[in-house]
Amino acid sequence: MAAPLLEIAGLTKRFGGVYANRDVTFDVRHGEIVGLIGPNGAGKTTLFNLVTGFIRPDAGTVRFDGADVTGMRPDRLCHRGVARTFQILKPFPRLTVEENVMIGALARGDAMESARATARRALASVGLEHKRDGLARGLSTGQRKRLEMARALATGPRLLLLDEITGGVDQPSIPGLIDLVGSLRSEGLTLLVIEHNMRVIMSLADRVVFLHLGEKLAEGAPREITAHPEVVSLYLGRRRDGH
Amino acid sequence: MRAWLAHRVEGLPVAAIVILVAALALYPLAATMPFWRHVVIMSMLYGAMGVAWNILGGLAGQVSFGHGLYFGVGAYTAAYCYTAFGLSPIVSLPMALAISTGASVLIGLPTFRLRGHYFVLASVFIMQSIYVLVSNWDRMGGAIGIEYPVYKAEGIADALWHGQFPDKLPYYYAALALFLLALGTFRAIQRSRFGMFLVAIREEQDAAHSLGVDVARYKLYALIASAAVTTLAGTFYAQYVLYVEPISTVSLLVSLEIGFIAILGGIGTLWGPALGAFVIVPTTELLRAYLSGRLALDMSRLADGGPLAWLEYYALGGGGNVDILVYGLVIMLIARFQPAGVLGFLRRID
Repeated sequence: MAAPLLEIAGLTKRFGGVYANRDVTFDVRHGEIVGLIGPNGAGKTTLFNLVTGFIRPDAGTVRFDGADVTGMRPDRLCHRGVARTFQILKPFPRLTVEENVMIGALARGDAMESARATARRALASVGLEHKRDGLARGLSTGQRKRLEMARALATGPRLLLLDEITGGVDQPSIPGLIDLVGSLRSEGLTLLVIEHNMRVIMSLADRVVFLHLGEKLAEGAPREITAHPEVVSLYLGRRRDGH
Repeated sequence: MRAWLAHRVEGLPVAAIVILVAALALYPLAATMPFWRHVVIMSMLYGAMGVAWNILGGLAGQVSFGHGLYFGVGAYTAAYCYTAFGLSPIVSLPMALAISTGASVLIGLPTFRLRGHYFVLASVFIMQSIYVLVSNWDRMGGAIGIEYPVYKAEGIADALWHGQFPDKLPYYYAALALFLLALGTFRAIQRSRFGMFLVAIREEQDAAHSLGVDVARYKLYALIASAAVTTLAGTFYAQYVLYVEPISTVSLLVSLEIGFIAILGGIGTLWGPALGAFVIVPTTELLRAYLSGRLALDMSRLADGGPLAWLEYYALGGGGNVDILVYGLVIMLIARFQPAGVLGFLRRID
């Protein structure tokens, strides 16, 4: 079997005396959707920042597609095929929706017109093409999540890291977002997703990694994780019908 | 043809642009007095610098109050090469541009790691340090500066080679060319991929970085382009006034004026800084001509007890700088009541 697309080994990051991540090790294989869960402050977003080069680890390695990319700059990682979205959404507010998405294609080296075409395809795939001429600051939170995904898709990624797909999104929009992520996988993308909504994780993820206080406490299929005693006591709480 | 004239470039119809450029080109034929030509020459010079500043400050969002440095590189290189070696500004200009690019890299690499206010502060500190250095650099004339020897040119070719002309008309058209070059450069960058990257960096640097934009590289390119046009303006300035001193080139004062013109005119827009220069520079020049010195020289007014005269005498030591007071007031009024700049004000009327 081929090497995993993403290999995280012994990843450690300290802020002052606090471990944001401590010796975290797991893989993401080609075509997988891996869910990253854990209580607030578990170090999920820090892990994303380490993997995408926004901060450098104190120890450990990140390998992408077989190559060591530890501490590589975000733009270089992006050119290799790693794209991400941000938990705290970061649209370019005074650019149009289409221009927002064009940036990623332009940075890949596309000319203006082909970048525009790429942007339109990406916007169509997230269902935002009707908003393309409006300014990004006029979008709702759910639309901004879709914009972030379209922007990341326009870079032509192989691995997509999604930080909170459904956080802050109204309930009726959630099934659409789940379908969207599912369709990305069927187009050949590999995904690592941070998500609080367990229903979303159960319906999407092939495997789940559970972080607590910066350390990986459990890893496995969604069913195994929801039955894992520590995950239950630290994160999910006991079922009402338990005991 | 009609459709083409009605086409708008950032809100301004092409027909209006053609008329404005023609008006600027024909202006010196109507205004024959040197002072009125001088006012527009200075407006176009500062307009060019405001537009150049806007590449870095407006498009890329990196607000620098250190552009006097690049202005000074252009002015001092021309003045020193001419007075020390008899080198034509045509020869020294490429050297000035090379120095300006080198300085951009040396300053940009460390300071672009800073964000927001810290970048602004760094630019101020660097500018002040350079000012002190140049003021104490004997070879560059120290605080007194470098004065050109007057040269009587024989024929046009000779005058061009020495970059000195007996009347203001050639300077006027050189300034117009510089002004249009700055606007053209800004527009070309604004419409390019490079310009899109700069705006993305301004709007949300981390997002741009994660989408594959080499943030450090494009900030540096923006500075180099911005600095190059400013250096060109510096060389023009030296050849125009034939005298270069630290306070009117490599000073915080000049740097602030360049930035203010862009910010008050309309930061990030094509026409804003150009418009800002044509509001602020004539205001400054007229105030200087009509207010400065007049009160100070007229000491008899002190006896009359005119309020401005007393303010002048006690607050400014009788130095004749009421123009700067009024200038400051104009800037405060624009900043207070029209933060989007003069252009924003016109847009609102429209």
